[in-house]
Amino acid sequence: MKLIVNKRFWVRSAAIIVILAFSVFLFFIGRQHTILVDNKSITINETEFQPLQLVEVQINKQPPLELAARDRDKYEATGQKHTVTIMYTDKTWEEHVIVRTFKVPLMQDMLIISIPALVGNPDSEQSVWLENYELPTYAMTAQPAEEHVVTDDFAGLI
Amino acid sequence: MTLQMTKTQKLLRFLANNTVPILFLIICAFGIPLSGYSANYLVSEILVRIVRNSFLIISLLIPILAGMGLNFGMTLGAMAGQIGLIFITDWGIVGIPGMLLAMIISTPISILLGWWCGKILNMARGREMVTSYIIGFFMNGIYQLIVLYGMGVVIPVRSNSLLLPRGYGIRNTVNLIGIRKSLDNLLTIRVFGISIPLVSFLVIAMLCLFILWFKKTKLGQDMRSVGQDMEVARAAGIRVEHTRIISIIISTVFAGYGMILYLQNIGTLNTYNSHMQIGMFSVAALLVGGATVAKANIRNVFLGVILFHLMFIVSPMAGKNLIGQAQLGEYFRVFVSYGVITISLVLYEVRKKRDQAQVGLALASEQEAGA
Repeated sequence: MKLIVNKRFWVRSAAIIVILAFSVFLFFIGRQHTILVDNKSITINETEFQPLQLVEVQINKQPPLELAARDRDKYEATGQKHTVTIMYTDKTWEEHVIVRTFKVPLMQDMLIISIPALVGNPDSEQSVWLENYELPTYAMTAQPAEEHVVTDDFAGLI
Repeated sequence: MTLQMTKTQKLLRFLANNTVPILFLIICAFGIPLSGYSANYLVSEILVRIVRNSFLIISLLIPILAGMGLNFGMTLGAMAGQIGLIFITDWGIVGIPGMLLAMIISTPISILLGWWCGKILNMARGREMVTSYIIGFFMNGIYQLIVLYGMGVVIPVRSNSLLLPRGYGIRNTVNLIGIRKSLDNLLTIRVFGISIPLVSFLVIAMLCLFILWFKKTKLGQDMRSVGQDMEVARAAGIRVEHTRIISIIISTVFAGYGMILYLQNIGTLNTYNSHMQIGMFSVAALLVGGATVAKANIRNVFLGVILFHLMFIVSPMAGKNLIGQAQLGEYFRVFVSYGVITISLVLYEVRKKRDQAQVGLALASEQEAGA
């Protein structure tokens, strides 16, 4: 088959490129990440950060979550750029609000934000209080040895 | 000179032409009071079914226009749509972007399968329906081979929630929670307590408008000519085979999109069975709406969805209230969906022979008058 390079060829090629670019765009804006917000004590560079007694956390414009000490909760968020807002009251009853924006690597499924580390280092790099999280193997449900795959349409009638 | 019909003959002709919808109206008229469902419940259920199924059924219209009958090969498009959904679930793409990406992934697969199916149907001219039905079964085998043995080995799939415990192959059911009702819930209004998904209806309306516009285009007119008489169309310079292939490609691509819309509404993908069931039920719904193998329009689609799914909704409860067994209703609806296809095909042949006989009678009477 001979390849004919004419106006139609270029229009079609441009359309394919536009669709591919649009697909990449959709991939970026539609990628979902699970963001865990964790209010447990953490040690970074031999410094221990204690959990807050009560803290309100919000990711983007999703409903805020209230966490007590040693609490952990999760958000589902799409896209790569997010904002975390932390509201808490210190021992002198002074209210503090910390707002930080962070970026999530595209293929990272689950991340954890350490609230004590963020409150202790509000101006630090995101790598101090944000890290990749993988479910511990013991936390996963035991898989059945094998799952019976039904490929027969009429299996239900037998 | 034409044969004049009496009013009784006209009525009988109307009844004969609309046997299937009338039959379903009677079934529903008996079933609705027996089921005991409220009007509100039935209307909201019907709206859900219209949103869920219309796109798939509309995808059957173009091959009918091109004279290729009911495209049982729409299951090929459904498989392509499902492959798109498996990929976006694995990649974690959710919401409307996920749906659009699944559609983009399904498009080249649908085009390729549609082109291949169209080529084969051109070789099996006159037996398109049975051929497309068998192509669906054949392709199902290839689909199963790819999904059951290829994914996780040749095609990378990283999500453990998708893979079978052995490490390759996709599970029986895939949870589509990420895109579940993402289109339906985009914009809804409530009327008398019934939720109406406006965007989904808008998408269906746009497809209907596309079909109406398409029929008026050069390609649409070519398809109509090919559907009426292939030899005359060929003599008029229309590329008959090419036009037929395009009609199947368009149908397959729309079936892929329709399957994605259908599954986003349901929220669960039955990996190895969804596509096979949908082909049969879409064809049955279109026939219930009064369509034939040679003629179908948008009115048939919506009438078919309403009547066929109304029967689907009321029959289990009607069966339970009537004889105390809901399962009888379940069997009844499967039996009816296959039965209606049979009745429609038989009636189509009967009608065709009757019309030919009437043309013969008219010709004979004209000749007698001339003599």
